[in-house]
Amino acid sequence: MALLEVKGLKTHFFTREGVVRAVDGVTFSVDAGQAIGIVGESGSGKSVTALSIMGLIPRPPARIVDGSVEFQGRDLTTLSDRQLEDVRGREIAMIFQDPMTSLNPTLKIKTQITEVLDRHFGYSKDEAGRRAVELLEEVRIPNASERLEDYPHRFSGGMRQRVMIAIALACNPKLLIADEPTTALDVTVQAEILDLLEELRRDHEMGLILITHDMGVVAEVADEVAVMYAGQIVEHAPTLELFDHPEHPYTEALLGALPQLEGEDVREGRLLSIPGRPPDLIAPPPGCRFAPRCPYAHLGDGCADNEPELRRIRQNHLVRSRHPASERQREAAPV
Amino acid sequence: MSEREPLLVVDDLRKEFPVRSGFLIERVTRTVKAVDGVSFAIQPGRTLGLVGESGSGKSTTGYCILQLVKPTAGSVRFKGKELTTIGRGELRTLRRDMQIIFQDPYSSLDPRMTVGDIVSEPLQIHGVGTRRDRRLRVRELLDVVGFNPDYENRYPHEFSGGQRQRIGVARALALNPDLIICDEPVSALDVSIQAQILNLLKDLQRDFGLTYLFISHDLAVVRSMSDDIAVMKDGKIVETGLADEVYERPKERYTRALLAAVPVPDPRKMQERRHERRRLSHSLAQG
Amino acid sequence: MSTTDPRDAVVAEPAVPEVVAGAGAHAGAPMARASLWRDAWRRYLQNKGAVIAGAIFLLIVLFCLIWPIISPHDANKVDLTQARQGPSLEHPLGTDAFGRDMLTRVALAGRISLAIGLGATVAILVFGVIYGSTAGFFGGRLDNIQMRLLDALYGLPYLPFAIILLAIIGTINMWTMILALSIASWFTAARIVRGQIITLKQNDYVRAAQALGARWYRILSRHLLPNTLGVLIIAMFLELPGVILGEAFLGFIGLGISPPDASLGSMAEEGRSEYRANPHIMFVPGLAIAILVLCANFIADGMRDALDPRTRETKEG
Repeated sequence: MALLEVKGLKTHFFTREGVVRAVDGVTFSVDAGQAIGIVGESGSGKSVTALSIMGLIPRPPARIVDGSVEFQGRDLTTLSDRQLEDVRGREIAMIFQDPMTSLNPTLKIKTQITEVLDRHFGYSKDEAGRRAVELLEEVRIPNASERLEDYPHRFSGGMRQRVMIAIALACNPKLLIADEPTTALDVTVQAEILDLLEELRRDHEMGLILITHDMGVVAEVADEVAVMYAGQIVEHAPTLELFDHPEHPYTEALLGALPQLEGEDVREGRLLSIPGRPPDLIAPPPGCRFAPRCPYAHLGDGCADNEPELRRIRQNHLVRSRHPASERQREAAPV
Repeated sequence: MSEREPLLVVDDLRKEFPVRSGFLIERVTRTVKAVDGVSFAIQPGRTLGLVGESGSGKSTTGYCILQLVKPTAGSVRFKGKELTTIGRGELRTLRRDMQIIFQDPYSSLDPRMTVGDIVSEPLQIHGVGTRRDRRLRVRELLDVVGFNPDYENRYPHEFSGGQRQRIGVARALALNPDLIICDEPVSALDVSIQAQILNLLKDLQRDFGLTYLFISHDLAVVRSMSDDIAVMKDGKIVETGLADEVYERPKERYTRALLAAVPVPDPRKMQERRHERRRLSHSLAQG
Repeated sequence: MSTTDPRDAVVAEPAVPEVVAGAGAHAGAPMARASLWRDAWRRYLQNKGAVIAGAIFLLIVLFCLIWPIISPHDANKVDLTQARQGPSLEHPLGTDAFGRDMLTRVALAGRISLAIGLGATVAILVFGVIYGSTAGFFGGRLDNIQMRLLDALYGLPYLPFAIILLAIIGTINMWTMILALSIASWFTAARIVRGQIITLKQNDYVRAAQALGARWYRILSRHLLPNTLGVLIIAMFLELPGVILGEAFLGFIGLGISPPDASLGSMAEEGRSEYRANPHIMFVPGLAIAILVLCANFIADGMRDALDPRTRETKEG
């Protein structure tokens, strides 16, 4: 049984201007010890997906209107708040983007870690203290026992993120959700944190959902990648497969828009750019949501009228498009 | 590339910020050396990429060059004139030739001004042309940067980040500058929009013979834009050279660590890059 | 972005076939976003107390402006045969010790009180803006000195200070009242403006203006002050009740406008001696003062909540 199975998840925001269909039919699963990267730009719905899994969406104005989130067989969307609180932190943990605001500035680090241990396990003060030192050491914070007595402002951004990871790991969760954990950090620190997450995942056999906009990050960390656009998954494949053979026009464009670190003619060449902007999620276009910006959508091929399904194009490779790359070569060349 | 006089020469530039503390009477206890002896030159028509992590002093360097922040010491020669010592009037005139594009598309445009006003402000300040001339020029500039001129009477908040950056670029171009300092111009934008703006900047450089000082923390972005590179750390330049040289044959350990840390969208390289990082972190002093 | 701009075309890379930008890419249209003011107005309307208070305040203002013109009674005409009458059809609020119609008198007095209130508020804003913006904009030592001075002035008690000022000035008329009241209480406005200027200064568009060669007065007048408008409006409505009450108090202790003109405060003072037998002569202006001050308070709170930047929508790219 998969650790986490998300099926047809739909989370909508009910606002004055209309219903924002932030997540509109997302399906994927995560096994124990597996890392899946969810990639997308702003407005793709990746963060809302993560928050929906944890039950952390603001209710109102948001609501899960359809679908299920099965964690070890239990549907989290049907649980009460109290039951969800038991799951959060203990079975599923989450770390967020901004290390500056995710720690309480008025509490010592020690308190923030032991708080979690106390909530779920009822450790004694001494036991919790010892466990806290262990955790800080595991995330490679030097002088762990002294550092416990510090307040968050004495830590740098990278260190704070490590503390967040320590808090997340405190109860040995089976699944860790990381929402843009390194975006606010410097490149060298980012690499350290990602390497750390890799190691910890392997040591603890944890499932990992990594949410990011950075294709480089998923290439480094994820086993599988799901690309999101306008609230839907448009492509889903193992990492190597996705980068070697991207199928969806959006994925291709995304990869082509990335400036390269190495290679010929980097300075003179132009980057692939996608014209236009992501669609308004209150009134997404009928049919394929990427069609208005897609170079392969022609009139009369139904792209603008019918929403394509997420279909299996190869073993392990799903794509939501009427014109995936491998089928394009077989089509007659467009005029 | 050429033996001409460099457009911009920065020599031993320094900027220190005093740290004030004290209970009743504030006293200067120590100083933070944001820019600690930076020197480089940029030839006309070329792009120098200034790369560094946060706190390296790269943005402050840019502000010091434009005299938006007064340098503590050092020299900035622009078009042969020493900017740190010239008179206010002369500096004001020279400002027409050196401009800046900011990182944050939300705070770089005055929310109470229309798009047209924002782009025509440089022309107004320097008394260029009549009202009609200015309006024509504004429409021309908006068109050049790929922004629909019909929206000149709208307000910035009605547009997305990428569109706002275009407005910022149009404003920077208004007075036909020779040098534009691009301070993290695409860091706040999504990847696909980023590509649009970078392409635009390249086109403009070619079409108008612009010289860029391109400041960024994103090594891949800098690579695609720059001819020459300077790597900054803690207020100092640790390595300079032609972009190709520095990226392919980095000499300094810090540069190598930086390059190894960038997440590269190539899963095959993952293992080897991880090993490289581990190797470098053992020998690199944590600082 | 015009959709026909060739720069929008996706350019070929070796392995990808050459393509042209899809037609219908809604690239350049502005996004429909509610303006900040419209949002604030909507939020204000949701605050029932503020809306009712606003309506009442407006009605009173209109009454004070219009009634004396259409009233059948002359507010200053003395008619001892009608003196000290209670409310009646001819005199809905009764008459005072001199037989003058209370309703009309109150309307006229209201005009003066409101004028003084408004005038003093505007003066407070002017002093506050000048002082606060110079301190906030130039910063450094000047700011330090200015703030220390302000701290000292804060310690002075408001009304006694106003009284002393009036004594120094000598005459008491509408203008000197405005001057005295405003000089005694502009400090908070100055602080607010200074804080706002300092915050706004951090924005890149200020740096951009500097980089363009704008001189300091242009930056201050075109970029900084217009953006303090929201804060200024709130400050204005927060000051208004205090000033109205201040003027009323001064009038009540006999430092009000000289007769035959009257403000609400001096009217109340006149009614003091009649309190036992004919309480309405004092109550009517007193009630008017109370209602105006209460309404102004509610309006100020409503505006502050409506314009609170924390609840403003955030924009994303």
